[in-house]
Amino acid sequence: MALFQRIEARVDAGIGRRRLGYALLALIVVYFLWFPNDTTQSNYAKTVFISGFFYAIMSSSWALLAGIAGQFSFGHMAFMGIGAYVAGLAARDGFAFLTPESVSSVGAIFIGTIVAGLVGLVIGWLLLRLRSAYLALFTIAFSELFRIVMLTEYDYTGGSNGLSLRPLLQIADVDTARQVEYYLMFALLIVCLLALYWVANSPVGLFLRAMREDEDAASALGVNVVRYKILVFVFTSMIVGLAGGIFYSDIGSERIIPEQLEILQMSLIIAYAVIGGMESLIGAAAGAFIARYLLEATREVVITLPFGLTMADGADAFVWEPGAWRYALFGLVMVLTLRFMRNGLLYPIITWFSGRDIVMKETVAKRESDEDHAARLEVGDE
Amino acid sequence: MSEINLELNSIVMRFGGNQAVDHVSFSVVKPQLIGMIGPNGAGKTTLTNVMSGMLKPTNGTIYLNGRRIDGHPPYDVVRAGLGRTFQITRALGRMTVMENMMVPGLAIRPRARQGDIEARAHEILDLLTIDHLTNELSRALSGGQRKLLELGRLLMLDPAVIILDEPFAGVHPRLQETIYSYIHRVHEDGKAIILISHNMGAVFELSQRLIVLNNGALIADGEPQAVKSDPAVIEAYLGEDE
Repeated sequence: MALFQRIEARVDAGIGRRRLGYALLALIVVYFLWFPNDTTQSNYAKTVFISGFFYAIMSSSWALLAGIAGQFSFGHMAFMGIGAYVAGLAARDGFAFLTPESVSSVGAIFIGTIVAGLVGLVIGWLLLRLRSAYLALFTIAFSELFRIVMLTEYDYTGGSNGLSLRPLLQIADVDTARQVEYYLMFALLIVCLLALYWVANSPVGLFLRAMREDEDAASALGVNVVRYKILVFVFTSMIVGLAGGIFYSDIGSERIIPEQLEILQMSLIIAYAVIGGMESLIGAAAGAFIARYLLEATREVVITLPFGLTMADGADAFVWEPGAWRYALFGLVMVLTLRFMRNGLLYPIITWFSGRDIVMKETVAKRESDEDHAARLEVGDE
Repeated sequence: MSEINLELNSIVMRFGGNQAVDHVSFSVVKPQLIGMIGPNGAGKTTLTNVMSGMLKPTNGTIYLNGRRIDGHPPYDVVRAGLGRTFQITRALGRMTVMENMMVPGLAIRPRARQGDIEARAHEILDLLTIDHLTNELSRALSGGQRKLLELGRLLMLDPAVIILDEPFAGVHPRLQETIYSYIHRVHEDGKAIILISHNMGAVFELSQRLIVLNNGALIADGEPQAVKSDPAVIEAYLGEDE
């Protein structure tokens, strides 16, 4: 602990925590930019990263919706699905007055994004009077409804086989294709995070947090809660609709299947955000990426035994295939996080770099009871 | 000067069979300091909720500065110029004191410079003796400090008419003095204030006019001294003589 405090003092006196934080963030970005050029990495590793970026977008946008605006929605995956399905259908069958030939793959994704936003508008409006548990139940029902329709209408949607979207890229060389897909998804993540941060740090973000704390009080303070509630649904729906359209246009996956829209998948998004820190956009994104990575990395756990030791069967390594146990362990981590670190495992790190804990320490010392406050005023009177 | 700011015409609020507010009419001219009293369950808070837009009246109309506001959502009523505090304080707990002040500041004046709003917030917090808590989360404030913060948020809105619902309840006597001087000051600024309180001493001392509610109906409206000796008021407070 003493060592940590010495480092802390050095940082505070020197570069400053915030600048150090930005420097580290820049390093991480540079690492991600360099990663596909690492020839030792397989295409499979890149695929894992691509899916990590996708889930980072899902979790961070959910963090804005639930963590910052307080709208604990289970419909996030469904909005993603709307974006993907509508993009697929628009490219295959055309959309409104547009023929399939006149819809480009980018155009199809654009249509999917807009439709996801429009559905977000309607759902946001329907949810105006619903709070907490009712809102969650409503969105679960909406999400299931959408999934079952996609499953049942197999003539149009392909049912449980899923729907192929028109590929966004036409690159013959597999290695190059993976590389381009990687950069595309990473760029999308950066753009989405910037957009989310822009909203969260604007007056709108302040109003959203006020709404989360107390909707009636926010309204009594002049915040147009109707407008902002709908706005946050439309905005996040469009982000995940766009991400879904791009991801399933053969970037991360070649087809969208209804299984992706199950409550379990939605729960994973929530779990990533909770573990990373649901009130921090970057925390939720990092939580999702790290969790996805660990879930992939632990498909097979191989521990090479030291000192020439061998297992009973003569193997020199301990091998464990946890299978579904990974999710059980993951659930345990989430339960422990909720119980002991409600702001997420990354919260202390993010707080430290932001320097917020310095401000907190300063102001906690100033807390006082009514009596102390009154006594201080008395002294001032004399 | 005697332009009517707030006008209630025959307001009725019914919850099922229960008539919480029963044909209440009165008007408010600024700057006026009005006390609103009545026994528990008289309908004071319900009437406040109706005036501030949290409840839509079953019947009747409300005009604020010539604009009809009954049935309008609270944020609209606030923008029209009527602000209120809550009987049980509703601080935005996990937001700092400054953020609590910025919410109304930015909501009312979205185009103003953030720096100007912040400067104004500091001024008000200083007046309310809680400037040192600017960066503190508002849930960490004491009960009295929360009351002060609510009053501060109200000033950020700069409304023409202010309703204070039990501003003294559960507040340390010395902090009550701060609230007293706040009320005087806001009144001197030319605002109309409706003060709801069970603290009769404070109401009689501060008010220029008293409105008395009982069982949802307005039973007296006039000078405090005249109202005090009104038989209907005495009966409402002391119960019927057998």
